[in-house]
Amino acid sequence: MNRRELLVGTASMLVAGAAGPAFAQFKPSRPIEFVVHGGPGSGNDVFARTLTTIIDQEKLLPVRMQVVNKPGGGSTSAAAYVVSKKNDPHVIACFTNIWLIDPMVQEAATNKLMDMSPIARLVVEPALVVVRADSPIKTLKEFIDAAKAKPGALKMSGGSITSRENTVRQLLMQLTGVRWVFISFPSGGERIAALLGGHVDLMIVDPSEAGEQVRAGKLRVIAQVNERRLPAFPDIPTIKEAGFDIPNVPQMRGVVGAPGMAAETIVFYEDLFLKASKTAGWQKFVNDSQLDGEFVKAAELKAFFTKFEGELREILKAAGAKVVR
Amino acid sequence: MEIASGLLHGFAVALQPGNIIWCFVGCLLGTIVGILPGLGPAATIALLLPLTFKMDPAGGIIMLAGIYYGAKYGGSTTSILLNIPGESSSVVTCLDGYQMARKGRAGAALGIAAIASFVAGTVGVIGLTLVAPPVAAFALSFSSPEYFALMCLGLALVVLLSGTSLLKGLLSLLLGLWLTSIGTDLFTAQSRFIFGQATLLGGIDFMVVAIGVFAIGEVLSSVEAGEEAKVLPVPRGFRNLLPNAQELKACRFAFLNGSITGFLVGCLPGGGATISSFIAYGIEKAVSKHPEQFGKGAPEGVAAPEGANNADTGGALVPLLTLGIPSGGSTAIMLSALVLWGVKPGPLMMQESPDVFWGLVASMYIGNVVLLILNLPLVPLFAQILRLPVYVLFPVIFGISIVGAYGASGRMFDLGLLVGFGLLGYAMSKLKYPSAPLILGFVLGDAMERALRQSLMMSQGDLLTLVERPISAIMLSLALVILLIPLFGWFNRLRLRAITENG
Repeated sequence: MNRRELLVGTASMLVAGAAGPAFAQFKPSRPIEFVVHGGPGSGNDVFARTLTTIIDQEKLLPVRMQVVNKPGGGSTSAAAYVVSKKNDPHVIACFTNIWLIDPMVQEAATNKLMDMSPIARLVVEPALVVVRADSPIKTLKEFIDAAKAKPGALKMSGGSITSRENTVRQLLMQLTGVRWVFISFPSGGERIAALLGGHVDLMIVDPSEAGEQVRAGKLRVIAQVNERRLPAFPDIPTIKEAGFDIPNVPQMRGVVGAPGMAAETIVFYEDLFLKASKTAGWQKFVNDSQLDGEFVKAAELKAFFTKFEGELREILKAAGAKVVR
Repeated sequence: MEIASGLLHGFAVALQPGNIIWCFVGCLLGTIVGILPGLGPAATIALLLPLTFKMDPAGGIIMLAGIYYGAKYGGSTTSILLNIPGESSSVVTCLDGYQMARKGRAGAALGIAAIASFVAGTVGVIGLTLVAPPVAAFALSFSSPEYFALMCLGLALVVLLSGTSLLKGLLSLLLGLWLTSIGTDLFTAQSRFIFGQATLLGGIDFMVVAIGVFAIGEVLSSVEAGEEAKVLPVPRGFRNLLPNAQELKACRFAFLNGSITGFLVGCLPGGGATISSFIAYGIEKAVSKHPEQFGKGAPEGVAAPEGANNADTGGALVPLLTLGIPSGGSTAIMLSALVLWGVKPGPLMMQESPDVFWGLVASMYIGNVVLLILNLPLVPLFAQILRLPVYVLFPVIFGISIVGAYGASGRMFDLGLLVGFGLLGYAMSKLKYPSAPLILGFVLGDAMERALRQSLMMSQGDLLTLVERPISAIMLSLALVILLIPLFGWFNRLRLRAITENG
C-alpha cells in the first residue's frame, strides 16, 4: 500500500467517521411495506405503485418495496395499521390531507398523523376552478357577483364537506360574505358529469381531470388553486391574483413512517424518495398528471403539519363539520 | 361512413397478431378473476398496471378492457354453482341460477349465462360503435332527480314483485337500506351506526353481505335440512349440460332486455353493472307471463341480469371514451392507464387517438367471441363440481366464501361480519323472509339516498323538483304503476281467499 492510497483510505474513514455515530446508516433487512389507504386502483394506490415501480426499476433499494392496501374508513384503517407497527423501520405510508382530517372529524379515528414520523412531501396537487364553456361567467369575480345576486341559487359539485374544494369554497364565502350550494358526489366522474350536464354551475377540479375538457372547449378555467400559475395555464390567475386573498389550501401527498422512527431511518427514507423524485420516470409522471413536484423534507413537513392542522380545524368548523378533536 | 371507416381501421389495429394475443390474455385473465370471488377486475387491472407502462397504448387498453369485460363473463360461474357471487354484478344471477343448478340444470344455466353475456356484450359494443355521442349526451342530461327516480323504479320493480309476503319483503328491504347507511355519511362527514368501530367507518363491503346471506346462509339451511345423503342431480351426457331449445326460447326477450337495459344504465356515470342487472331482472319479471317462477329457477332470471352486466361494459365505455368520464372503479383505472401511456382521454380522443379508440372497440367484438369460445367448453367441466358429495362441497363453499370475503378488503373484521350475515341469511330462510330485497336495498339504498339529498339541495328543499323534470316524472309514475298493479292482484287474491275460506 503506497502513501497516497493510505491517505485516501484514512480520509474516507474520517469522513465516514464524522457521519458515523450520530447517523449509523440504516439498512433495510426485509421488504418495506408501503401502506396506502385506498383499495387497488384508487388515486393513492396508483400513486404509490408508480413510485414503487420507479424505485424498483432504478434499483434505489436493496430490498423490495411493496404496496399494502388498507382501505376502510377513509384513512382510519391504514392509520391504525401504521400506528400498530410502532418502532418498525420497515413500515411507511403514503399520506394525503384526509390523514389529517379524519381524526379531527371522526370520534372513532384515534390515530393522528402527527403521531407518525413525517418523512417527505412529494407532490402538491393544484386545482382549477372551472365553469361550463357556454356559461356567461368569465372570471371568479363574475361568479361571486352572480352568487351575490341570487343567494343560494348557484351550485357547485364536489366530494365530501371535508374535501379541499369545499374548504376553498368556505374560505371564499367567509371572505366575500356570499353563499352558494355545495353538492357532494362520491366519484369524480359524477362530479364532472353534473357540471357538463348543466346541473351545477362550478367545480374545483384536478387539472388532470379537467384538462381535456378544457382543451375540447367544454369547460372554461376561471381561476387556479395553487401558489403559482401552472405551466399549462399561464394566462389564468390564481385565486389570490383574481383578487380574493385567501390562504392557499394544498392537496398534498407524501410519505410518513411508523411512529417512533429513528432519525437515521428518516434520513434514509428522505434520501430514497429525494432520489426517486429526481428520476426521469417520476418527472414524467408528475408532468403528465399536472402535479406540483416540489419536494419538502421531514423537518419542514413536521412544522407544516402543525400549522396546517390548526388552519384546517378552523375552516372545517366554519364549514359546519363536527370537529371532535 | 365515418363510423365504418373508423371500425375498419380499428379491426386493422385489433387484428395485429400482438393485439390479438393481448386481447386473449386479457379475456383469459378476466375469466379467471371473474370466477374467483374477492378478486375483482378493478383490483386486477390496478395490480397489472405497472407491467403495462412499456406497452403500446392500443395493446395495453385492449388487454385491460379484456380483464374488465372478461370478469363479468366469469362472475356467473360461482353464482350458479355455489350461490357465491363471483363479482358484485353477478349477485342477481344467484337468484335463479343457483335454483336452476339445484334442479339439475346447472349446465343449462351456465350456458345461458355465457350466451346472454355474448349477445348482450356484443350489443353493448354495437351501441358503443354506433350511438356513443348521442347516448353520452343523454347520460349527461341525467341529474340527481333522474337518478332518484331510476332507483325508485328499480326498487319497485323487484321488491313488490318478489316473494309471497309483501310485509316480509318490505322488512327485508328495510334491513338492507339500514345496512347500507352504516359508515361515514358523504354529505356531513359524520359516522352513522358504527357502534364505536373504526373499521365500520367505510361501511360494509357489499360482497361480504352477499356472500354471507346467499352462500353461507344457504349452506347452513341445507345442513339443517339434512341433505348429506342427497347429491344434486347432474345429468350425464354433453347434450344435457347445455340449455335446451325450450329454455333458450324462454330467454329471447331477456337477451334483448338485458342488452338494452344494461347498455343504457351502463352509460350513466352514477349507474353500474350491479344496478343495471337488478333493473333488467325486475323488468324481466314484470313483463313475464309466469313471474311466480322467478327465484325458483327461471332461465330468463339468469339471462336478463347476465346480459345486463355485460352490455353495461359497452355502456360504461361510452362516457369514458367520448367524454373522458369514468363511471366506476375499473374504468377509472383504465383512464389513469391511458394518461400514463400518454394518450389524452377526453372529448378529443376519438379524433386524436383513433388507434386506441377504434382498436379497443374492434377488439371487443373479437373479445366477446373469444370469451364465448373460452367459456362454453368449460360449462360441462364446471357442472361436474356439483357431483361432489356434500361433505366435500359444503366445506369448499365455506372456503371460497371466506377467501372471497377476506380478499375483498383484507380485514379479519370482515370475516366476523361474514359469519354474522351467514347466520342472518340462515335465519331469514328459516323464517321465510326473502333475501333478495335485502341485497337490493343494500345496492340501491346508498345511491338512492344520495340522489334524493342532492336533488333537494339543488332545489333548495323543493320536493316538486322530482316530478317537474320529464324523465324523472315518467320513471316515478312507472314505479307507482308497478307498485299499484300487484297491490290490486294481492287484494284480489286476499278477497278470493277470504271468500273460499268463508264459504
